[in-house]
Amino acid sequence: MNLKDITIFILAGGKGERLYPLTRDRTKPAVPFGGIYRIIDFPLSNAINSGLRKIYIFTQYKSLSLHRHIREGWNIFSRELGEFIDFVPAQQRIGDEWYQGTADTVFQNINILELEKPKLILILSGDQVYKMDYMRMINEHLKKKADMTLATFEVPLNEAHRFGVLSVDKDNRIIEFKEKPNNPFPSPENPEVALISMGIYIFNLDVLIKKIIEDAKKSESSHDFGKDIIPSMVGKDNIYAFRFIDENKKNTKYWRDIGTIDSYWEANMDLVNVDPLLNLYDRDWPIRTFQEQYPPAKTVFSTGDRKASVTDTMLSSGCIVSGSKVIHSVLSSNVRVHSYAEVIDSILFENVNIGRHCKIKRTIIDKNVDIPPHTEIGYNLEDARKRFHVSENGIVVIPKNYKW
Amino acid sequence: MIKKKILIVEDVINEQILYKEELEKEGFEVSCVSNGIEAIEFVEKNLCDLVILDLHMPKMDGIETLGKLLTKKRNLPIVIYTAYPQYREQFLTWAADAYLIKNSDIDLLKNKVKDILSEK
Repeated sequence: MNLKDITIFILAGGKGERLYPLTRDRTKPAVPFGGIYRIIDFPLSNAINSGLRKIYIFTQYKSLSLHRHIREGWNIFSRELGEFIDFVPAQQRIGDEWYQGTADTVFQNINILELEKPKLILILSGDQVYKMDYMRMINEHLKKKADMTLATFEVPLNEAHRFGVLSVDKDNRIIEFKEKPNNPFPSPENPEVALISMGIYIFNLDVLIKKIIEDAKKSESSHDFGKDIIPSMVGKDNIYAFRFIDENKKNTKYWRDIGTIDSYWEANMDLVNVDPLLNLYDRDWPIRTFQEQYPPAKTVFSTGDRKASVTDTMLSSGCIVSGSKVIHSVLSSNVRVHSYAEVIDSILFENVNIGRHCKIKRTIIDKNVDIPPHTEIGYNLEDARKRFHVSENGIVVIPKNYKW
Repeated sequence: MIKKKILIVEDVINEQILYKEELEKEGFEVSCVSNGIEAIEFVEKNLCDLVILDLHMPKMDGIETLGKLLTKKRNLPIVIYTAYPQYREQFLTWAADAYLIKNSDIDLLKNKVKDILSEK
């Protein structure tokens, strides 16, 4: 298979409501992650690391931030060589409505498939964090002569009800598929885990067209791959599961569909561990992004009670920690932490300014927020709930551009 | 028995008249419009069991009309009736229940319409 015969569709149209207020001003794939990244950097990096460079990104809600990030950080493709990242905002090309579901997104843009006529279409979600060589999956798809192949990940049986759960035969052919079932079926090899869909699909062109058109003609359908298209193919088409192969080089496989503020916080906190589950340091599978140019991170004041101390923390460029303590936190670019302040277990986005004597704990502070001196956040949750979003596990979130 | 309702979307008036007469002989109730914009207006306001759709039309062509009809009335049967076979390559035409090429034998159209409506 020539790599040019494969087109990637990244679906980035979801609202990400459970990540509110981080998604108040941006679509979920544009949410910052790990100090310098945006979530979409992961599927995009996977694509180029897999050698795939024909990419369409489908957006509809609050896409400006994502557009900017891609334009500034991913302008590395040469159209002359047949490589591109193209943005496709909702255009009402066919219907008068916005995208009804993931399958409707593809249906409304059927003209792109006409134009490109790829042999295979790889459909990805723009809001997951993982490292995967898509070519391994594509080779498996071709070997099996499948109509559709779906990537699958193992999760504990009691967590599987949140996902699309599948059952396979010994050849990995999918024999059953249920979206968010009450009683998920266990994996054939291990009764304690279930095989779930990662929302990563490879379709042969003609199969995809037939299926999305068939689905578009059903008035009772929600026009979604997981809810409608995949279940409709079970027992009729040649569909297989691909067991996720992780490029992360760790003992445990890593894949996160960062759905909530708590899981977002945990995935960031993992990165500051001595040996994080997500390996960002592997030069064989680099994750690239856009970063504004700043001077290197700096700490100042080295003696007495005004001593700067930064431990178990990711510090991005342009940060200055001045006579204050930062413990177990993730700081994006250009953050200032002023004297006598203390930041613990927190995530600070770009251009956050922490005033003198502030105490910040278990808090996510979105971009461009100036915290006045002597402010305490994260210590009195009842108080915090009156002004801010506080997650189930007690993480306080200060929204972007919040003014004191 | 209630007559099944058919909408003909065709910009050539003589053809409209011909198909209307032929289909009425088969016991259908037939209405005609001349382009896609009128077709969409029609199905929004009237009951309709099947649409016969020309492709080359002014104002809004058949393929665009097909997409719009589909998202408005998802299971409305549509028969493309055109002189041009080459539009089969446009994937949206796969959404039609039939793609028939116009010729002098109008029985082809009549039989297809009867088949589709008897299945529904």
